[in-house]
Amino acid sequence: MTVLKVIAVLATGFFFGLTFEGIARKVIARIQRRYGPPWYQNFIDVFKALSKHGISHGWIFDFGILMALGGTIATLAFIPIGNLVAFPGLDNIFVITYLFAVGALGMAMGMVGSGNPNASVGVARALTQMLGYEIPYLVVISGVMYYYKTSSVSGLMTAQGDTWNLVKMPIGTLVAFISLLGMLGKKPFDTPIAPSEIASGPMVELSAKYMGLLMLMHTFSIFVEVALFVDIFLGQSNYFTFLLKFAIVWILATMISAVLPRFRIEQVVKFYWTVPLGLAFVQVLFVLLGLVF
Amino acid sequence: MISLTTLIITLLFSTIISYFLTRINKKIGTIFNFALISYSLYIVSNLKTGIQIKLFSITPGLENTLIVTELGKYFAIISFIVLSMVAFFNITWINKKVNFSAAFNAFYLFTSAGSLGVFFAKDMLTLYIFWEMAVLGSLLIVPMGREDAKKAAITYLAISSTGSYLYLYAALSLWNKYGTLTFDKIAYHLINESSVTYKWLIISFIVAAGIAKSGIFPLHTWLRTTLGKAPDTFSAVMSGQLEKLGAYIIVFALAVIPSLQLFRPIYSSVPSINYLLIILGNISIILGTFMAIRQNDMKMLMAYSSIANGGYILVGIATIDTIGFSGGLFHVFNHAIASAMIFLSFAAVIYRTNTSKIDEMGGLIWRMPLTFVTYLVGIISLAGIPPTSGFISKWMIFNVLVRKGMFVTAAIAFIGSVGSFLYVFRPLAGVFLGQLKKKHYDVKEVPVVMLIPMILLVFLTLFAGIIPGPILDKISAIETELGITPIEHTATIIKTPLGQWDTLTVFTMFTTGFIIAFILFVIFPKGKKVELTDQYTGAEFLHNYDLYHYATGFYRFIERLYDKHPSFEKLYGMLANFFKNVGEFVNAWVYKTSPGAYVFWVSVVILILFWVRW
Repeated sequence: MTVLKVIAVLATGFFFGLTFEGIARKVIARIQRRYGPPWYQNFIDVFKALSKHGISHGWIFDFGILMALGGTIATLAFIPIGNLVAFPGLDNIFVITYLFAVGALGMAMGMVGSGNPNASVGVARALTQMLGYEIPYLVVISGVMYYYKTSSVSGLMTAQGDTWNLVKMPIGTLVAFISLLGMLGKKPFDTPIAPSEIASGPMVELSAKYMGLLMLMHTFSIFVEVALFVDIFLGQSNYFTFLLKFAIVWILATMISAVLPRFRIEQVVKFYWTVPLGLAFVQVLFVLLGLVF
Repeated sequence: MISLTTLIITLLFSTIISYFLTRINKKIGTIFNFALISYSLYIVSNLKTGIQIKLFSITPGLENTLIVTELGKYFAIISFIVLSMVAFFNITWINKKVNFSAAFNAFYLFTSAGSLGVFFAKDMLTLYIFWEMAVLGSLLIVPMGREDAKKAAITYLAISSTGSYLYLYAALSLWNKYGTLTFDKIAYHLINESSVTYKWLIISFIVAAGIAKSGIFPLHTWLRTTLGKAPDTFSAVMSGQLEKLGAYIIVFALAVIPSLQLFRPIYSSVPSINYLLIILGNISIILGTFMAIRQNDMKMLMAYSSIANGGYILVGIATIDTIGFSGGLFHVFNHAIASAMIFLSFAAVIYRTNTSKIDEMGGLIWRMPLTFVTYLVGIISLAGIPPTSGFISKWMIFNVLVRKGMFVTAAIAFIGSVGSFLYVFRPLAGVFLGQLKKKHYDVKEVPVVMLIPMILLVFLTLFAGIIPGPILDKISAIETELGITPIEHTATIIKTPLGQWDTLTVFTMFTTGFIIAFILFVIFPKGKKVELTDQYTGAEFLHNYDLYHYATGFYRFIERLYDKHPSFEKLYGMLANFFKNVGEFVNAWVYKTSPGAYVFWVSVVILILFWVRW
């Protein structure tokens, strides 16, 4: 049964992840007054990339990619998709957050292993950006966990009953959403990638199936990040309402990112550690004082 | 089976044997060391708890006794695992050591004997005697490192003695007041003590020794130079084992003498003194993390990381809560193993390249793959990523901080945790990945004898990460002994009031994910292997591949934000300068080597004596 559920979760991540990414491309195109690619363009991209012969920079490059994809798949399996929960009771927030780091570390290691300084700069920036967004995010999540006395994601989801956390903790939700933009690497927080400055940073040496596998990893990561936000802040949901909420959050993030320029990396950290971190502490103070609607 | 006292005496006498054996042949002496320490590990892990052994008695009522407790056993086993692995590593490494290798081996045993005594002492005086033995042994080894290590040893001595003299003062004061130095009697008397100031004084003075030893702010300044300059393998012992003496003192001052019963709780049932310690732990985490990010010397980087991890241990233990205390104790194990792994892999790198500067290396993964694997697993454990054991302790510490609503501390713990990704990645990228420097083309992997302990430690941390049951059993035994509710767990599932997680499920899922990725990797067309010098460079030709390795100023953009940080080292430097000047003044005026000055001072003394009529 667990195996089937895991397969269902992974399949959802794969299919809807790629679909939503395709839709996002369409949305951005329309904001920029272009026609844009069809919604299934990302499926074509991934399979086309996977079918080509590429170049590899040695075993650590290959291993990094395996670790990145493997770690992200493992993380995705622990994410509750509405009422589809593969490991009930074991979907601990900290476990998910840290298991997620396996994928990030694998990608960072493999890409720096390619020996291109652009990749190293990109990874250094990505880690620094992580130092920025994780802190306000985790503080807000701590407040939520303190309030509901559980750290299980599905537990938090069901505990919300009829009132969403969005209503109960509006400041926290806002902070989490800003952190989510950083996690997704959406503008204004796309400093690690920055195609015009560091040639797409970590991705600079990727080609063919290596690129395809990391595109999959990226899709899964996006799914994990947005799904956590939806589960924790947007109330109880079943499989279909979950996907609806997911689409709304994802398209909102895309639309915001489509109209904003890029921060410099130290500006990212400064920003996260002033406004969102301050608001996060205000939110947990409200939680401590019992000021939750 | 020999008894504990026999073991300590054997270790002490063997220092001489080890010295002369090493004089005869370096290898035989080191093998002797390893054999003796692993035998001690066997004995220590089979000790029965509750045994008391009287050593000697100075005056009636002051008996120096050893007692086997669960707490002492836990620390002793961890210590001897680290010590024996490093001793094994030394068998080949010692060849590189030109000077003082005999003294190195002798003091190595001496330090081991001292720390064994610390963990099993039953009263404050015995603990002090063995404590000073451990400090002395390590103090004499530190200057055998790099050229400027002597100065580091002086800093180490100064700060370590600050701690131990405060401890001694507390001990003498207790003896003066209650006429006993045994732990259980001290605890009994202190609980019935009416003066709050006195309790504060005693506990904080005892804790000071632990703070100095585990490098907690404000007594952290010695760690950078001492760990950075000490002989390469001894840095592993200092970070992995000797720092844990400090953690032991902290546990002992907060839990054996129960601070919960001594002080009023001020916030979510954490006593006031523990709260102060948590704040110190927080500062250590921040400071260690951000200073580690700046370092270019990989040993100094890990030294700062030790400060941060000391902070984690302190925060965990000081919460005196089932989960937090278990987290702190588990982190003692994790940090011991992880830092031993990391320092040993550094020692291996330095053994081959003769440098510890990150930007002078690169691409060593192609020459030393197994050293790289050790380092990789070491940092995964240190950064607290599953499936290594490092995550378990961090998870427990985060859990308790969230449940108690200590959000600022939690935020700082998160900063330390995410920050650790930053600093551990620096040596990974700078030393092991990227282009290989021309001067390192003929570097080889280190000999098998050095690889074995590293790989054993890798397996140990993976095993503890997948099946933490055996360690959690030990921790819950300690908690039962100390009167704290033992942690709820099975072999692979850890339960807290906030939720649970199953290490085995996570590991299985991790393996599954890896297998899926591997299958995908295999079924799609194979890539062409190209050299690391074949790069995307925006259509530029590369002439010097050595310059193409990005390692200098890796995090310059974030370092810039705190370049002008305040520093305690400067403050201590000013203090040292002040005392030096006072000393020079006194020297010039009091110890002036002229008969006139002597006559003058003698007459002043006689006048004073007459005046006060003694």
